Amino acid sequence: MRHQEKTSSKHNFEECMKCTVCTVYCPVLQVNPRYPGPKQAGPDGERLRLKDPYFFHYALKYCMNCKRCEVACPSGVDVADLIQSARIKYDHSAPKLRDRILASTDLMGTVTRPLAPVVNGVTGLGLTRSVLDATLQIDHRRVFPKYSGRSFEFWLKRRAKEQAMYLDQVAYFHGCYVNYNYPQLGKDLVKVLNALGVGVQLLDGEKCCGIAMITNGMSARATKNAVHNIECLRKAGADKGMKVLTTSSSCTMTLRDEYPKLLGVDNADVRDAVQMATRFVFERLEAGATLRFKPDYHKKVAYHVPCHMERLGWGVFSERLLRMIPGVEFTLLDSACCGIAGTYGFKKENYEAAQAIGAPLFEQIRAVDPEVVACDCETCKWQIEMSTGYSVQNPISILADAIL
Amino acid sequence: MRFDTVIIGGGLAGLVAGISLQQAGRSTAIVSTGQNALHFFSGCFESMKEAPERLTALFAGAGIRVHYNPGVRLTPLGTFREAELSLEDISLFPEAKFADKALLACVPGYLDFFPAFLAEGLEKQGIQCRLCSLDLPEELQDGSVERRSVQLARLVDRDWKKIVQQIRLMIQDEDAVILPQLFGLQDASVPERLRQEIPARVVFAGTMPPSIPGIRTQRLLKRRYEVLGGTYLGGDEAVEAQVEGNKILSVRTHNLEAHALEASHFILASGGFFSKGLRSNPFRVWEPVFGVDVDFDEDRNAWYNEEFAGDQPYMQYGVKTDAALHPLVDGQPRGNLYAIGSVLGGTRPEFGTGAGLAIRTAFLAVDKILESL
Amino acid sequence: MDPREFDVIILGGGVVGAGTMRDCAMRGLRALLIERADIATGASGRNHGLLHSGARYAVNDPESAAECIGENQILRRIASHCIEPTDGLFISLPEDDLSYQNTFVEACRTAGIGAEIIDPQQAIRMEPSVNPALIGAVRVPDASVDPFRLCASNMLDAKLHGAQVRLRTEVTGFIREGDTIRGVHTRNVQTGRETDYYAPVVVNACGVWGQEVAQMAGVQVGMFPSKGALLIFAHRVNNMVINRCRKPSNADILVPGDTVCIIGTTSTRIPLENCHKVSVTPDEVTLLVTEGAKLTPALSETRILRAFAGVRPLVSDDNDPTGRNISRGIVCLDHETRDGLKGFVTITGGKLTTYRLMAEMATDLVCSKLGVNKACETATTPLPGSEGRSYEELARQIWEAPSTAQKAATARLGSVVSEVPKRSRQDEALVCECEEVPVWEVNNAFERMGVSSLTDLRRRTRVGMGTCQGEFCACRAAGLLAKAQDCAARERADLLKFMGERWKGNFPIGWGESLREAEYTQWVYKHVLGL
Repeated sequence: MRHQEKTSSKHNFEECMKCTVCTVYCPVLQVNPRYPGPKQAGPDGERLRLKDPYFFHYALKYCMNCKRCEVACPSGVDVADLIQSARIKYDHSAPKLRDRILASTDLMGTVTRPLAPVVNGVTGLGLTRSVLDATLQIDHRRVFPKYSGRSFEFWLKRRAKEQAMYLDQVAYFHGCYVNYNYPQLGKDLVKVLNALGVGVQLLDGEKCCGIAMITNGMSARATKNAVHNIECLRKAGADKGMKVLTTSSSCTMTLRDEYPKLLGVDNADVRDAVQMATRFVFERLEAGATLRFKPDYHKKVAYHVPCHMERLGWGVFSERLLRMIPGVEFTLLDSACCGIAGTYGFKKENYEAAQAIGAPLFEQIRAVDPEVVACDCETCKWQIEMSTGYSVQNPISILADAIL
Repeated sequence: MRFDTVIIGGGLAGLVAGISLQQAGRSTAIVSTGQNALHFFSGCFESMKEAPERLTALFAGAGIRVHYNPGVRLTPLGTFREAELSLEDISLFPEAKFADKALLACVPGYLDFFPAFLAEGLEKQGIQCRLCSLDLPEELQDGSVERRSVQLARLVDRDWKKIVQQIRLMIQDEDAVILPQLFGLQDASVPERLRQEIPARVVFAGTMPPSIPGIRTQRLLKRRYEVLGGTYLGGDEAVEAQVEGNKILSVRTHNLEAHALEASHFILASGGFFSKGLRSNPFRVWEPVFGVDVDFDEDRNAWYNEEFAGDQPYMQYGVKTDAALHPLVDGQPRGNLYAIGSVLGGTRPEFGTGAGLAIRTAFLAVDKILESL
Repeated sequence: MDPREFDVIILGGGVVGAGTMRDCAMRGLRALLIERADIATGASGRNHGLLHSGARYAVNDPESAAECIGENQILRRIASHCIEPTDGLFISLPEDDLSYQNTFVEACRTAGIGAEIIDPQQAIRMEPSVNPALIGAVRVPDASVDPFRLCASNMLDAKLHGAQVRLRTEVTGFIREGDTIRGVHTRNVQTGRETDYYAPVVVNACGVWGQEVAQMAGVQVGMFPSKGALLIFAHRVNNMVINRCRKPSNADILVPGDTVCIIGTTSTRIPLENCHKVSVTPDEVTLLVTEGAKLTPALSETRILRAFAGVRPLVSDDNDPTGRNISRGIVCLDHETRDGLKGFVTITGGKLTTYRLMAEMATDLVCSKLGVNKACETATTPLPGSEGRSYEELARQIWEAPSTAQKAATARLGSVVSEVPKRSRQDEALVCECEEVPVWEVNNAFERMGVSSLTDLRRRTRVGMGTCQGEFCACRAAGLLAKAQDCAARERADLLKFMGERWKGNFPIGWGESLREAEYTQWVYKHVLGL
């Protein structure tokens, strides 16, 4: 190859044309004046950080890693990856820096105090708890079945033999949410897949995908989980063609893209096997498989594409799947962040701001007035249910409801 | 997935083509590598020449009002440029002296609006200018380093009534009020309401990108496209095409991987260099998705005009096509592929440039596709 | 006393002129500096930004090498905010003669330069971007220096010591009485206003243009201008200076500087009359990338930001009447003893690294002529911005700065950052986003650093030096400058000129991302802004 035939840079930061489009679509920037914005925190800041790690700025932690900047970028810059990588790199390679971050945080106490719960660390379960705490103030318990004490894993293990009877098999990465909070979604998936003649297996001890750890500066733990999960996927045969389905767009993105790009965990042999269940089901149907639908089914559905689903670019599969259901009156909602921005919207102090981000979406939902809002992400579900009173369900649950 | 037509590029050309085809009952998908040049749109069509009715109708369907009123537009630096058609909130004047006295409202601390240049430019035309400052909403007093059009736009849309009050208090005998083009990002009716409430001619002068009217236009066109049932694959990139003979069978994208997009027709609306519709290295210029022929100088020294202000030869480079806009590969047209918009560069001067080129070639390609069943 | 009378007039606003002005002012002389354009417009601002350890000269020019290492150590103390103590590597590649390494290290030690042979694997660990095929490496105390900042700081300090500066003022002739220079005729290039200034000594520190100036005074100084082409890459690939351990040749130094890295240089003799407009040819770009990629293979695939060229002010050796032999060292000419012309001194040759020593030599000569007996203190007195601060101290300040812009500004301004006024919270807004220059830093440059154009501003703040090459910041800064100077018409022309100047460095490398950027810039400026 000749010199300069192509140029490349880490996360494509040099492809940035400084066009500012990412700043238009960053939900955090619109509400938090302390956040330098994706352009400055990402490609601009990277040039300074390459000069000296001292240019790393604590305000990068305000990035909630929604990836809207990456979807919007006309240049293919992995803006959010740059930001998250910087946090990972400078937290770990220079422990002194870490201390200094805390020192600076003290200086900026009034700014950062509202984020203390974030800094304190949020695991999948912890996240769930804080979410529940925040939402319990609003009466939406009907969409949050109480913690039953019976996990989804427990439920599916009891059916393992029955599932093993199917010739066609997939593994299911259910994630923390399905396991602890909403086993019904997992059960719905099993119903749909069984109807397609596919049996569902558990992975051998999956752990939290780690996305919340990454965004909250706990990448070492996230990396541990990543190594463990990838090994789980291999054990299940994902490297030999076994599909591993998920029902959460954030878990999917993490398993496929964040592991190699942010945590440096190689998943090349199993990456393609990890798929959203909606894509899997759609492709089966497109290939000629059939489902038996309820004859008199009717439902008005408005579909909200979650941020990470947009990044995956797979909203189209959920959309098409929903449109295929006889009796579904379908509306695609405008692309917009619901305002939850990870954990941001759960802080009481940020309530107004988060609601402001989500307001156009909520307004649109009210105008459409659907019976159910479809969405592939659990945090969006909480936010939309809390803010609009409309029930939100995963497209898989809607499908499960529509079939016999 | 199968469609009637797959469009590569979700900017003005791609969206106009997509909306037209969806309206005609065709199923389409648009693959768009991120956002597009509409974010830098001045709001004016400089070389429209024909088909304004068709465009006006298409935009009206999306909730965007445009007016055909050939004249001049006030630029952000206080110069004037000719244009024929503009978005509703952008004024086109029959002549540059559009008022006798103007009140020029600036936003303190907002660096992307240029009152000094505007005043100088207007005074050259005999328009007397008086500068005044708008009080900002409380949120903007804070030390945010990001102070771009979009951050301001959200607030001024909400507080537009307060701005009207301020202007009404400050205005004296001016017959025009010049405001930065920050209004109507979320609510397209705001610019018109300002015009109704302010007792003088209200002119919105542009800012540095991102362009508020441009973002609004993009959002409304995309929504219209989706309401019509179009599939907009945003943030995805077409990476390769499967070809049989002179026919494109399908296109693969980065996100959908093995899941190819099949179609009877394909439209290449991927833009120029900035949008990566054209790529370059020191040795050549090429079109990355279909590998069609590109018109460019072999000698790289001929790519540039050393004068910044001069016409740049590289901006003329584009995809070679036949008269029906079918791109050529080794001189042979690809029968079910059409190239529209900036990816044509200056290869089809009869269609104009910029937004005019985008619209007119989009309509032509749509007509050809509809004719071909 | 007549405000046009001074003790010494220094011609040339490069780093040597600025340094001489500072030294003179610190020794109590009333000094005036006259510069035709702006600070560091010649060779001072058109180089690698390398603070030589002297190692490069150790084998062939031990005298220069010794000067360099001495000054290198001094500047680290007095100009810490202009210098990054990166250290440097001299690498041997398989095609190089490894035995040269011993000659090299021996010569370095003789010159007093700490040169340490290190294992190639260790070199890779220290500088991961280095060509992994290297067979030998020597570590030396090279560093990176920002010449604009260095020049501006010298000037600022001179002004604090009472010296005066006239920028954009050209010398149109000398005021001569018999065999004595009494002063200069000048003309302001902006206003056309003509003024005479008087002083018993005039110092010619005009670099490559020193020949013309000397001629004007009626004496001969033989310059041999040599063009050097360089490339700026869009981000830092390396964090140590990388050199080839062989006889100095083309494109064998890669220097990390601020947010970029610079490869250079070539060496082409050019006629004096071409010095005003040097440009980089496509062949030179190819040569620089090809040779650069041998030092650091990543350069082959790294976006290039700009190409630029400078002219080295090489001086003919006075001992060689044919003029063929060139002196690479410092040339300080007392034209009284040399040519019988009293009150005229030429200081030239030398290097960026040795500017302070050159200034000291010139000032010593000036003082001896004026009968002033005061010792030079520039080697021990820190420049404004570097007071009492090591780089570590500066780094701590950078770390603790509350915003990214504050961090970047601290790195640029050093300890004086705290003195810069911020009038409102709106002043925190960024003018230049690539290099993170806030409004208050730009205003400071307007008010305290003699800025009258965007190019002046760029030299003092890095506005427009980032990857967008002025696309956003030029306009913003022009808006501020138009307001500050209350002259929109002139600023409009200045903006166009600035963008034209940026483009001059862009088109020679106009492909890939840089061509995308260029198209976008054309779009914004021509179509949207209507410039």
